[in-house]
Amino acid sequence: MADAVIPIPAQQTVAGQSTPAASVAAVLPQREERLFLLLSIFIGIISGLLVVSFRMAIEWLSVLLQGSAPAPHQIRLIVAPCAIGIVIALLTRFVFPLVRGSGVNQTKAALYIHNGYMSIRTVIGKFILSALAIGSGQSLGPEDPSLQIGAGVASLISRRVGLSRERLRLFAPVGAAAGLAAAFNAPISAILFVIEEVIGQWTAGVLGSIVLSAVSAVVVARWFWGSSPMFRIPSIDLKDPRELMAYAVLGVVGGVSSLGFAKALGYLRPAMRNQPQWFQMLQPALAGLLVGLIGYLGLPEVMGAGYGAIDLAMHGQFAFKMLLLLALFKMIATTLSFSSGTPGGMFAPTLFTGAMLGAAVGSYERVLFPHLTGSVGSYALVGMGVLFAAFLRAPLTSVFMVLEVSGNYSIVLPVILANTIAYLISRSLQPIPIFELFTHQDGLYLPSMEEEREEVDLRFEDALQPVSVPILPGSETLWTLKQFQAAHPDTAEAPALLIQCGDATWYAIRQTELQSLLAPVIDSSSPLADAKLESRLSPERTPLIFPDQPLASALPHFRRWPLLPVSHRAMRGALEGVLSLDDVLKRYQQG
Amino acid sequence: LIRTAYQTGKAEYGAGSTRRELILHDSLAFFTLAVTTLALYGVTFFLFRSFESHREELAASWTQRGQAELQQGKPADAVNSLRASLSYMPDNYPSQLLLAQALAAAGETDQATNYFLNLWTARPGDGFLNLELARVTRQKAESQHAIDYYRSAILGDWQGDAVIRRRQVRLELIDYLIQLRRLPAARAELLIAAGNAPDDRQLDILFGDKLLAAADPQDALTFYQRSIADDPHNAVALEKAGRLKYAEGDYKQAQELLTRAIENTPHAIEAPADLTALARNAARLVELSLSPDLPARERARHLLEAAQIAQTRFDNCTGNAATLPSELQSLQTRWKAATDPAHRNALVQNAAGQDSLTQLIFDTERETETTCGPATGDDELLLKLSESTSSGGNP
Repeated sequence: MADAVIPIPAQQTVAGQSTPAASVAAVLPQREERLFLLLSIFIGIISGLLVVSFRMAIEWLSVLLQGSAPAPHQIRLIVAPCAIGIVIALLTRFVFPLVRGSGVNQTKAALYIHNGYMSIRTVIGKFILSALAIGSGQSLGPEDPSLQIGAGVASLISRRVGLSRERLRLFAPVGAAAGLAAAFNAPISAILFVIEEVIGQWTAGVLGSIVLSAVSAVVVARWFWGSSPMFRIPSIDLKDPRELMAYAVLGVVGGVSSLGFAKALGYLRPAMRNQPQWFQMLQPALAGLLVGLIGYLGLPEVMGAGYGAIDLAMHGQFAFKMLLLLALFKMIATTLSFSSGTPGGMFAPTLFTGAMLGAAVGSYERVLFPHLTGSVGSYALVGMGVLFAAFLRAPLTSVFMVLEVSGNYSIVLPVILANTIAYLISRSLQPIPIFELFTHQDGLYLPSMEEEREEVDLRFEDALQPVSVPILPGSETLWTLKQFQAAHPDTAEAPALLIQCGDATWYAIRQTELQSLLAPVIDSSSPLADAKLESRLSPERTPLIFPDQPLASALPHFRRWPLLPVSHRAMRGALEGVLSLDDVLKRYQQG
Repeated sequence: LIRTAYQTGKAEYGAGSTRRELILHDSLAFFTLAVTTLALYGVTFFLFRSFESHREELAASWTQRGQAELQQGKPADAVNSLRASLSYMPDNYPSQLLLAQALAAAGETDQATNYFLNLWTARPGDGFLNLELARVTRQKAESQHAIDYYRSAILGDWQGDAVIRRRQVRLELIDYLIQLRRLPAARAELLIAAGNAPDDRQLDILFGDKLLAAADPQDALTFYQRSIADDPHNAVALEKAGRLKYAEGDYKQAQELLTRAIENTPHAIEAPADLTALARNAARLVELSLSPDLPARERARHLLEAAQIAQTRFDNCTGNAATLPSELQSLQTRWKAATDPAHRNALVQNAAGQDSLTQLIFDTERETETTCGPATGDDELLLKLSESTSSGGNP
């Protein structure tokens, strides 16, 4: 069953439903907003502490299960992931049924389906099982589980404090940002990723809280781990702009490689899930056996998160062929581990593969063009960003992630170029991003920024029509207008007319309303004959709208107005055209 | 606690909640959160300390192992051990240095260079790092980079006795420059090194050796002589100076210096055979000297002895051959004239005759060398005298 489908217990809505939010808001109107911000800080701190503990657990388990210096031909490399795989399968089946997968989609589902709810059992299960899986050598990363742990903490705290359902929903991304920021030691990347991948849209309402929680979490993480960037490479002095071509090649390689990786996962994951239950129980152990075998036969670097190997690649410690082998086998190992349903993340394997590909491309290019100034480390670093952009389809995050994990701004140009190329190639070859593919495989359809990017927002100018309705000056008297209508019968037949008011505003009037205004005027001696049209209108005016505004925003106005005059931004009172409800609907129907 | 507070708050909302009650509820909730956070921090801190200390132990143990393996000449094993160590303490500078050295020792030049460069980025003025970078770039035949790194190492920071370390680095640079045949640069560095060095007889010998390697025998001799002046019984300096004098053609000085070198060689150590032979040759060359600076009588005596040796060599070379090559025929004719007793008797008073006979002796040794193979014994020495003459020296 889908790992993101979470039953909502009755307790979840208690706070939201039974608390009379309206009356609370009446007593303390700013309460929720203030609580939201303050809680974000607490969520950040607690998530940070939990992520620090999570990383410790992984490293401790890694030493315990794989030994302090894993090397080829150590039998424990096969035994540990295989045996732990059985434990994971049993625990996943009987104790923590919702911990499968990376954690990103579960967090997104919590936001969009479950009103921000994530059970404490899932959080505990994610912590324990992910630590066991990664510590035993399964080729998975700790970042995505950290994101889910953060979201779970946020969900738990917000439920206990008692906030409206609307607020409860928003806590999931706040916690997710905290968890990811602590895991990566990179607040900006975490914020951007949560916006790009979890929330799926830019929203100002939650941004402040996300920033607060991410920063709090990073402060805690740095308190324990120190503030050094995750990877250190020498500064790049891009003396010749032509060297950017070398990085562009890396972008192409990354884009194509990400396709292979995504295809493998997209095929194997549902295939494994369609197996009988007994075989699904064996899958984590089987994946552990195969991944362990890869390590045993000569590539122990592919086991676990692999940050040590990334560091070695950045320092040019692997030869060209070894780099290619590591990239290939990491993709295979990760596909096996992830598809088996073992809890763990995709970030670290993606970065690992990208770093190896980048270093390989860098090594090769440096042989062909010895004058290149970039070190192998710089190519490895750019490679990380390239695969992140192409595979996880988070281009903005990928750029900032590279800058933050290296603390090196000099690499920004190559990163932007290579990531953009990889992203565009990946988008054209694999239209559905990997996380979205997983949600579809799980039977869920969640919004994404990628989806939003595809959408074309219609604007007023797309449905705008020339002004063909009669325009009446508001300064004219009712008698004059009466005479005018008698002389021009077509003005009496138009269903709606525009009245130009004195202060450069407009009034769209229905024919019936106009006729009711003119009805009391029989002749020039009638009491209202000299009254000006404008003075007889209700005081409201049609809204001031401009051609570049979203078309959807026009819809509410048609309840009141038969027509909407669209004004020129530079000439007050001048019209660009008019919009009617029919025009708008027709435009939407055209697509 | 939060739940209780919330339940309380909820009930009171129903009964007409007040602002004060809401504030109390929220304060209680935050107090609980703060206590929970502190407790979690305490637990995490305790676990983290234990975790860090365990990592430090692991790192130290792998570093020790790597160091031992490096000393035992197992750099590949050392690389693995040091990598394991650094996975636990990535910022441990001594382990980083050891790993870079192990990589260089294991022949992983590119990796070592990258590793050193990475460390160098953080400490560009570190003398040791620059020296190691010079060594690895030297292995990669990037000579100009290597020289630059050597110079940076000389100017860099050193722990301990910086003066000595800088001199050692400069001497290593000098060796490299000599190897590259950049002799003027090597000599310039040597003069700087010597100028900065204290008065030390061993150092003088060292500088002499380097200058000699840098094709500057005159300055080398000066340094050997400085060492001898400081310690007249210094066998090494005496030998080196003697050999230089011998190579220079100053056999008298050479004989004296070499003899003193043999005399001053400690009894426990036997003078090398070649040194003894060289001293003997020098003595014999003095005896055979045909220099025009010698008193006429003495020169005539030397000439007669040398003529005897050369003629015997000529006779042995020609043997009973019926026909001789034109060069040897010419020599045969000249020897016939030279063996005229009247001519020999007049030799003492006839400087031109002495020169002519000297030339005949040398020509004979050279020609027989070409025709009949390498000369030995006195013939070899006469040949050496002839070579000294042709190179502008004194026969």
